[in-house]
Amino acid sequence: MEVEGVPLDDKAKRMRDLLSSFYSPDPASFAPSLPPNTSSRFATLDTINTTSFDADQYMNLLVQKSNMEGLLHKHVEMAAEIKNLDTDLQMLVYENYNKFISATDTIKRMKNNIVGMESNMEQLLEKIMSVQSKSDGVNTSLFEKREHIEKLHRTRNLLRKVQFIYDLPTRLEKCIKSEAYADAVKFYIGAMPIFKGKIFSDSESIQARAEAVMLLKQLDFPVENLKVKLFEKLEQFLVDLHLESPSRGSISDSASASAHEASICEFAEAVRAYKVIFLHSEPQLSKLAQDLVTKHFDATHQQINKQVRSGDLLSILRIIWTDVLLMDKVLPEASLTDFALQSARVAVKDYISSVFKRLLLGVSDVLMKFQVTQKEGIEEDSSLQATLEASKEAVMQGSIDVLLEFRQLLEDNSELLLKLRDSTTDWVQEGFQDFFTKLCNYFLLLSGKSNAANRDLSFMEGIPGDKIVPALVLVLAQLSLFIEQKAIPRITEATSCFPGGGTRGFGYGPAFVPAEICRIFRTSGEMFLHIYIRMRTQKISVLLKKRFTSPNWVKHKEPREVHMFVDLLLQEFEEIRSEVKQILPQSLQRKHRRTDSNGSSSSSRSNPLRDDRLTRSNTQKARSQLLETHLAKLFKQKMEIFTKIENTQESVITTIVKLSLKSVQEFVRLHTFNRSGFQQIQLDIHFLKNTLKDISEDEAAVDFLLDEVIVGTAERCLDPSPLEPPVLNRLVQAKLAKNSDLSAVSS
Amino acid sequence: MQGGSTGVGYGLKYQARCISDVKADTDHTSFLTGTLSLKEENEVHLIRLSSGGTELICEGLFSHPNEIWDLASCPFDQRIFSTVFSSGETYGAAVWQIPELYGQLSSPQLESIASLDAHTCKIKCVLWWPTGRHDKLISIDEQNLFLWSLDTSKKTAQVQSQESAGMLHCLTSGAWDPHDFNTVSLTCESSVQLWDLRTMKKTGSIDQAHVRNVDYDMKRRYTLVTAEDESGIHVWDLRNLKFPVIDLPGHSHWAWTVKCNPEYDGLILSAGTDSAVNLWLASPGEDNSAPDSLVEPPTRRVEPLLNSYSDYDDSVYGLAWSSREPWIFASLSYDGRVVVESIKPHLPKK
Repeated sequence: MEVEGVPLDDKAKRMRDLLSSFYSPDPASFAPSLPPNTSSRFATLDTINTTSFDADQYMNLLVQKSNMEGLLHKHVEMAAEIKNLDTDLQMLVYENYNKFISATDTIKRMKNNIVGMESNMEQLLEKIMSVQSKSDGVNTSLFEKREHIEKLHRTRNLLRKVQFIYDLPTRLEKCIKSEAYADAVKFYIGAMPIFKGKIFSDSESIQARAEAVMLLKQLDFPVENLKVKLFEKLEQFLVDLHLESPSRGSISDSASASAHEASICEFAEAVRAYKVIFLHSEPQLSKLAQDLVTKHFDATHQQINKQVRSGDLLSILRIIWTDVLLMDKVLPEASLTDFALQSARVAVKDYISSVFKRLLLGVSDVLMKFQVTQKEGIEEDSSLQATLEASKEAVMQGSIDVLLEFRQLLEDNSELLLKLRDSTTDWVQEGFQDFFTKLCNYFLLLSGKSNAANRDLSFMEGIPGDKIVPALVLVLAQLSLFIEQKAIPRITEATSCFPGGGTRGFGYGPAFVPAEICRIFRTSGEMFLHIYIRMRTQKISVLLKKRFTSPNWVKHKEPREVHMFVDLLLQEFEEIRSEVKQILPQSLQRKHRRTDSNGSSSSSRSNPLRDDRLTRSNTQKARSQLLETHLAKLFKQKMEIFTKIENTQESVITTIVKLSLKSVQEFVRLHTFNRSGFQQIQLDIHFLKNTLKDISEDEAAVDFLLDEVIVGTAERCLDPSPLEPPVLNRLVQAKLAKNSDLSAVSS
Repeated sequence: MQGGSTGVGYGLKYQARCISDVKADTDHTSFLTGTLSLKEENEVHLIRLSSGGTELICEGLFSHPNEIWDLASCPFDQRIFSTVFSSGETYGAAVWQIPELYGQLSSPQLESIASLDAHTCKIKCVLWWPTGRHDKLISIDEQNLFLWSLDTSKKTAQVQSQESAGMLHCLTSGAWDPHDFNTVSLTCESSVQLWDLRTMKKTGSIDQAHVRNVDYDMKRRYTLVTAEDESGIHVWDLRNLKFPVIDLPGHSHWAWTVKCNPEYDGLILSAGTDSAVNLWLASPGEDNSAPDSLVEPPTRRVEPLLNSYSDYDDSVYGLAWSSREPWIFASLSYDGRVVVESIKPHLPKK
């Protein structure tokens, strides 16, 4: 090994080098080797230990430099060296392996140790906890005692003071006897602040305060001076008393209820004490007690305004009544029960009226919603019906709910409400009477039948300034009918079993008169139907007026087609029909058929006469013509055009159609026509005759009116020669074809 | 045929629209009526109620050149009256005088006093000064209001002032306030307009559509009654034009004419196209209670309809109270039938 010239002093050094080479793969760090590119040019035999060792090059070098002997020697040397290295390597591997095993062992041991640690830690935590809780326990158990001790200490101090005060008279006496006046005055003055401080300190309860005053009084202290201040304090106490809190939906909250009870007890005690202390203080105390009751009821009114339910109201009243009874025991002079009864009357009355007001608002909301959606043009097929149902529901269910609330109020057995029962029944009845009257008035107002100036419906803010939609009037009509026929009997039934009542004087009768309400709603229901018809016919009248006033009828051109106003008219009828069909019931029997209508036969009888007259009118003399008309009228029965309107689809539609046709007749009579104008009307009416059959029930009356229109036009015509029937039919057919084309296109 | 037996009838030859009470005739209860026939010769009838009140006698029959759309008798001369007439397209208005000794002439002719020929569009009606002798006359056409000065002895009529109500308004009729001679009310398509004749300016209006006819209450000032196409009859207080004082149901169809009784307070007569004449009592002297009674449903009030005369075969357009016997009125239906009725059985007991 020394041959290579490598400084190898001893084995240890070599070992270290080997180890370091093993652990750090960078050869440059341990071998101060030559740069790799030099190996070829300055090749030495030392390169064997470098990384850039080239075996072939080394062999060539060796062969060139050495002789045989040298080579052999080198061979032996190398063989020995290789053997040496081998053992070194083996040792190294063994050593490393050993280390690895020991490391594994260590890890295994570590792992074992850690497994146990977790449970140990938990145990530790537990122990710490228990220590903590125990220390807490000690603390609390000691705290009570400490408190007690502190209290005892305070009491002792107090007792000492009291003792001093009790001893005061004797002590003063003693002092006076021994003529130690200075001491006496000192003692007396010393005692004064104790009481005064007690009386006016806010921390003391009023009960304690009362006791203090009592003591002062025993001292013959001029307590009257304190009276004003004391009463101020008492008033303050009342102000601080939070009466609102127990009623705010937390009736079940026993904690606040008991707190309330306690404070009332305290108040009662204070009042009792003051009554003893201060002479002639009853009026003032009464006033305070009444203030308490007033405050209670103020709070109640607030609750009522917040739409409290009757159950809640009951519990509020119950609390008030207990308080009142308590106070009454202490202070009978205040006659608190009467006072409370009065206030309760007002409160219950208020409650009832507020409930009814809400009911009314509920109904009006439903109706207003419809009005708004209609105004905004939101079209829903079922909306009319839905509104009717919703408003029915609002009235019916609302009334039932209200009744349930009141029933709860009436069935309560507390003393206060028992006393009020009779009046309550009356108020509920009055309320219903008032509610329905107001509802009816509201309907009237909505329908525009009356004006707001005359109404006491100031609470209604949603009164539309603009015109109401006709459909809503129809809803009102139906709703009135519903109220009359369903709602009122139901409510009557429900109210009749109310207990008590009848405290109203004789001659007044019961407050709620279902028959009267029914009558009111029946008449207004009929009226709404009339208003609906009126609104509709008004619209049609405008249409007709435009039609008849705009053209110059004397210079009318020959009719070429059915005028478009007919379309508009039919469209109007169709709209009405769709509205009416949604909510009005169908008539049970189909009336006014040709067979049983008394007017129809006469009308048909007069027809030939009329037609006859029309054709001959040019040639015949006027006198005979008029005579003929009169004769015809004599023979036929008077046509009953304006029949009573019934609450059915057919009746309403037919009435509107009849009224519209009558309007046409009246318009026609106001104008003068030339032949073409007359023919135009004839054509339009002829077309209507065919189409109106489908719309109207009372065919006879409609036919009669249509004939009247033609007769009326003929009378106002300078040259009434009618269109030939074939021409008429052709034009009508053309119009029908056009219409069906249009409907086909639109659908 | 309700109330059919009480009426006294009289038949005209042709159809007719207008009838007027002859106010200036203090000796008899008489009416003037004119026919409306497009093709025949029209007539003016002077009818007198017999002293027994059981018969209507034709006092005079005069031919009139055109069909008569409006007729008004002069309040101070029983022989003078005005007509509004038309023939085909042309309209005119004239003041006529019944010839003296007309009963002795075989075919008396009306003497024309004046022709109100300043109009350019369809004339609607002529109004006389409400009471007493006065030369003022108002004529209304579709757009204008004319105030005439009439001299009956010189037979002249001059336009004193004229004002246009505007193209859009389309006036239909009017009434002269008997309490304030400076005010007339005119009906137009969408409202009732109040005009001051001194300034010829509009002073106010009632927004009520489709008013056919207006009439002032002779007894109560500031009270105006209107008749509308669909909405029935309304009573207004001219000091509050926003809302009507009373809302009467009116007729089954249009209410055409409305006339206040010249003597009895609150008695209103209305004629409608449903062939009926209705007699109303609009709660006289209860102006204050009227709003209260509205709070109650209408049925709660005393039924305002005193009687409905339905014995007519056609629409009733003409209506006139007799100023001499204020419990008598004459009605005229389109078929030319004059019916004079007494309302005495229906007067409320006082």
